[in-house]
Amino acid sequence: MAGGNEVNLNECKRIVPLNTWVLISNFKLAYKVLRRPDGSFNRYLAEFLDRKVPANTFPLDGVFSFDHVDSTTNLLTRIYQPASLLDLTRHGTLQLTKPLSTTEIVPVLIFFHGGSFTHSSANSAIYDTFCRRLVTICGVVVVSVDYRRSPEHRYPCAYDDGWNALKWVKTRVWLQSGKDSNVYVYLAGDSSGGNIAHNVAVRATKEGVKVLGNILLHPMFGGQERTESEKSLDGKYFVTIQDRDWYWRAYLPEGEDRDHPACNPFGPRGQSLKGVNFPKSLVVVAGLDLVQDWQLAYVDGLKKNGLEVNLLYLKQATIGFYFLPNNDHFHCLMEELKKFVHPIEDSQSKSSPLLLTP
Amino acid sequence: MKRGHGETWDPPPASRSGEGPSMADKKKVADDNNNNNNMDDELLAVLGYKVRSSEMAEVARKLEQLEMVLSNDDVGSTVLNDTVHYNPSDLSTWVESMLSELNNPASSDLDPTRSCVDRSEYDLRAIPGRSAFPKEEEVFDEEASSKRIRLGSWCESAGESTRSVVLVDSQETGVRLVHALVACAEAIQQENLNLADALVKRVGTLAAAQAGAMGKVATYFAQALARRIYRDYTAETDVSGGSFEEVLQMHFYDSCPYLKFAHFTANQAILEAVATARRVHVIDLGLNQGMQWPALMQALALRPGGPPSFRLTGIGPPQTENSDSLQQLGWKLAQFAQNMGVEFEFKGLAAESLSDLEPEMFETRPESETLVVNSVFELHRLLARSGSIEKLFNTVKAIKPSIITVVEQEANHNGIVFLDRFNEALHYYSSLFDSLEDSYSLPSQDRVMSEVYLGRHILNVVAAEGSDRVERHETVAQWRIRMKSAGFDPVHLGSSAFKQASMLLSLYATGDGYRVEENDGCLMIGWQTRPLITTSAWKLAGGGESRR
Repeated sequence: MAGGNEVNLNECKRIVPLNTWVLISNFKLAYKVLRRPDGSFNRYLAEFLDRKVPANTFPLDGVFSFDHVDSTTNLLTRIYQPASLLDLTRHGTLQLTKPLSTTEIVPVLIFFHGGSFTHSSANSAIYDTFCRRLVTICGVVVVSVDYRRSPEHRYPCAYDDGWNALKWVKTRVWLQSGKDSNVYVYLAGDSSGGNIAHNVAVRATKEGVKVLGNILLHPMFGGQERTESEKSLDGKYFVTIQDRDWYWRAYLPEGEDRDHPACNPFGPRGQSLKGVNFPKSLVVVAGLDLVQDWQLAYVDGLKKNGLEVNLLYLKQATIGFYFLPNNDHFHCLMEELKKFVHPIEDSQSKSSPLLLTP
Repeated sequence: MKRGHGETWDPPPASRSGEGPSMADKKKVADDNNNNNNMDDELLAVLGYKVRSSEMAEVARKLEQLEMVLSNDDVGSTVLNDTVHYNPSDLSTWVESMLSELNNPASSDLDPTRSCVDRSEYDLRAIPGRSAFPKEEEVFDEEASSKRIRLGSWCESAGESTRSVVLVDSQETGVRLVHALVACAEAIQQENLNLADALVKRVGTLAAAQAGAMGKVATYFAQALARRIYRDYTAETDVSGGSFEEVLQMHFYDSCPYLKFAHFTANQAILEAVATARRVHVIDLGLNQGMQWPALMQALALRPGGPPSFRLTGIGPPQTENSDSLQQLGWKLAQFAQNMGVEFEFKGLAAESLSDLEPEMFETRPESETLVVNSVFELHRLLARSGSIEKLFNTVKAIKPSIITVVEQEANHNGIVFLDRFNEALHYYSSLFDSLEDSYSLPSQDRVMSEVYLGRHILNVVAAEGSDRVERHETVAQWRIRMKSAGFDPVHLGSSAFKQASMLLSLYATGDGYRVEENDGCLMIGWQTRPLITTSAWKLAGGGESRR
């Protein structure tokens, strides 16, 4: 297979900028080393290798961020705001008592970082940087949330932590905005974070907590069946079926298969969302992601349940395209995100998928 | 880690090439990089990876090679799972080291100086404290229930004046307390001492009414502010020869894991550096109660093939006539060494200041001994007098140690502007006190004395000036610059030390919020996401491998 691998690597290298290729390949290799064949994970080495950054209470590039650590769970939440919204009442203090605005609506994006339920944290450099860019480009406040990771903590821990984060955000006075002082929440996430966003939205719907929209960035879904995209793209663009299987085995309850609803929400064991007040969704699919058939099935599932969904299909994008702003897919994504969270009054059309191929 | 400055968000040019996706960079990075090939790729730099643009293709090639080797079976990644990794920020070197590990797997056993194998079952009993100086332990359970202000994180900068922001959440109590503290410091900055005086009294009242860590921190800061206003700072002359400070430090050692972490990680670096030495000489620039050394001796004793001989030169403050605590300490350590079966030699050196040290005083034996210099919380004190640190560095260079281990507070308490120092210190000590408070033990003597210990530092940072102000902490970013220009190169601490420090924390830290972090070859321990103490290691720049 050596010859085949060479072709694959070269092809992949042509598709993305060189520094992107280096970044994602670095992760791919590091993660391979961390995953043990017996299903265990080298957490110490993972934490050692993860590049982390502090928050910026001194605004940097127009973004101000600070940390909140839950005193019982020790989970980190990092909040990012445009520096222009700051109310520095005196030198050196920021009062977290006032809403973001009493006139404008300021969307608050609760962001669940990716990492296939296993890797990364809110203070990982890749995610801190991404969240900062979201603030600057899309004009939102971002609340980046840590959750307990597998294999140490399996389903449903991540969803429970996500749900608690939503409740926390909803009750912060200093995240309110608009004339009626609400917290205007969107749920967002990449990879496993997208999966978490969906599941937290389901719970929010059940419990009557209002979420304005879901943003799923190549969300992590799967199933027992091997789809066309999985077979044809296996190993070609940084991701293999084998590693996907490993992460599902690490996250799902022991003994479960990939048709578990956490993995396959609209599969044989999925639940109906017909007639529920589920938020509108923006689903971003990278055309070179081997998981895409499952993501497209998810979009289909939403539609079949009569729910509003926009699909942004980026034909030549690989996973992780949004970590570096050096490609058109990144900018396209940001444009779509902006439109999604700042809807113009008169565009109320239900889901017709936007197929955008830059 | 350096954060990207001035990332701009102009939309990319509309150009699109016919073949493949356009590589529209957002700034002129591509052009700049072609012109400045030695610059690190900026986009990767903000993500924590230092890769020179000119090296990018080479790094990509190595990654491909590594991928090729690993793709065949699981053996390769299992090997890499067990090896020691260093400084993942330096991608090129990291990938290279993995490649050579896979290409020369046998060498790890033959060449112990590489210390490649992660001895993850390393005997963690070889860890500090009680074994040498047994004391009674009191362990109780308590629900930590105090409300406190969540202070925001500190922003890293290399030597620049930082402006930390104190966050005040109205849903917590103590809002007025923080306001009053900062207002008082502002008044002092503006030299409005009448106002400052009125405010400091207010702080005192509010602090007394505030429960928990915040109240304690505020009380110490209030006292320090008062002293500053009344110009009532005297360097506490300690007639007992510095032993009160040492006693306090011992309580600090016992009540929280920071010093244990510091000693442990420094020892890890030392053990690696002396791995094949038959005779080891450690110079401890601040011996205090010698808590670091029993653990090192224990680890040396467990070395396969037997321990090297261990010579310790401990530096302490000038001794009084009635006591020679240095020598007494030497005797205690000698007894311990005997129990361990380690050949031991001790010398105590009394010095008023580390800048008084001369190379001859150490009586080094370069032909037979591997030399280590160790400094825990000592270097920053020399910044109080100009020329002092340079003098010490020259002395250290003259004796040619194989490794220099340095532990320092991770904070910039040495800024020129008082108000900035004040804000930094408020952040820093709030985190520290928070972590003490969070431990599940009842207020013990250890904790109370630790607070006194830290309170003295607060007093010095806030109220002292000139050569009296010795608590001139600087961040590791600042120390890197100093060490580099003084002629030292970094020695990176690896994943093995990281792992064992993390495991140590779970054994000895009663609170859950302690975190170990790797930062460009150094290890940091922090509370929640705030790094508080950094361990780094250094060697003389250039020059070949020193003899081991």
